[in-house]
Amino acid sequence: MTETRNLVQRLPNDIGGLPGDPITRVEHQLEPWEKRCHALADVLDFHKIINTEEKRCGVEALGAEMVGKLTYYERWIVAFANILFRKAILTPEELARKMHEVEVRWLADPLGADLRHT
Amino acid sequence: MNTADEGHDHDDGHAHPHAEIGQSTPPGYYEIMETAVRELLVERKLIGADEIRRQIEVLDSRTPALGAKIVARAWVDPDFKARLLADGRRACEELGISFYDDTGLIVLENTEKVHNLIVCTLCSCYPRPVLGLPPDWYKLKPYRSRAVSEPRAVLAEFGTIIPDDIEIRVSDSTAMVRYLVLPRRPEGTELYSEEQLAALVTRDTMIGVVPATVGSGSAGQ
Repeated sequence: MTETRNLVQRLPNDIGGLPGDPITRVEHQLEPWEKRCHALADVLDFHKIINTEEKRCGVEALGAEMVGKLTYYERWIVAFANILFRKAILTPEELARKMHEVEVRWLADPLGADLRHT
Repeated sequence: MNTADEGHDHDDGHAHPHAEIGQSTPPGYYEIMETAVRELLVERKLIGADEIRRQIEVLDSRTPALGAKIVARAWVDPDFKARLLADGRRACEELGISFYDDTGLIVLENTEKVHNLIVCTLCSCYPRPVLGLPPDWYKLKPYRSRAVSEPRAVLAEFGTIIPDDIEIRVSDSTAMVRYLVLPRRPEGTELYSEEQLAALVTRDTMIGVVPATVGSGSAGQ
């Protein structure tokens, strides 16, 4: 009974004050797609399509397992997709079709400049 | 371990340079998702095709050099410092540093009695218009969880020992309110120009994990 109380009282993002490992001062240069993902977040915010708090909530709604296993920008893009589904801006079928199209396009022309750049 | 695996050295996986245009390694699942979401939104005309590219340019233009410029000005100009502490965003805009989002900025002054530290326990909120993107450690669990409950231990891991008679204040950022630490001006810098002072101010001094020193930053001497 008391074990589940923590799950109720703290959602996955709510970690302030919990014990933690020593700090390791890790840093990395963003991958091109990660930077595009960050820019996408900003543009979605400018257009009031997804604001910062909706994004944070969207990441939290992925649940503890995904929050723990996906990298930072992987969490963001999955959260964006879910929020866009919920707002009926996109459907899962449309996204699946487009992802397939993007992949096929890459396989047809791996060095093509148009895949990753708007 | 399987000896056949040991015979191969795959450690060069990270050494492949990123091609300027296109790339020969297959895009991962999440990269494909990013491309697909972006293209669908452009097709629907919900976002403009060139908006992402322009925002990448904005992100690339934001580095800790902007924050350093603000700090150095505050060190040499008491009136500016007063305006900065009263309204961080407006004072930054006064120096020509625009805010591309709706966030407010509160500047926290380190003094002989108070040392400030910033964190975002819930996610990764950060004063991006003046510092650029946060380092990974700022976004990871150890820093986010421990900064608020044992800041002295966290600071010690950055090599920063704060005497017990100095109060430590930890400010937890939100989606709308971001913080920037105004570090103390190092002693012995009375004759420094504003530019020389700015060169002492690193990103980590403005997060509050290390003090500014005459040996820190790009002007280390």
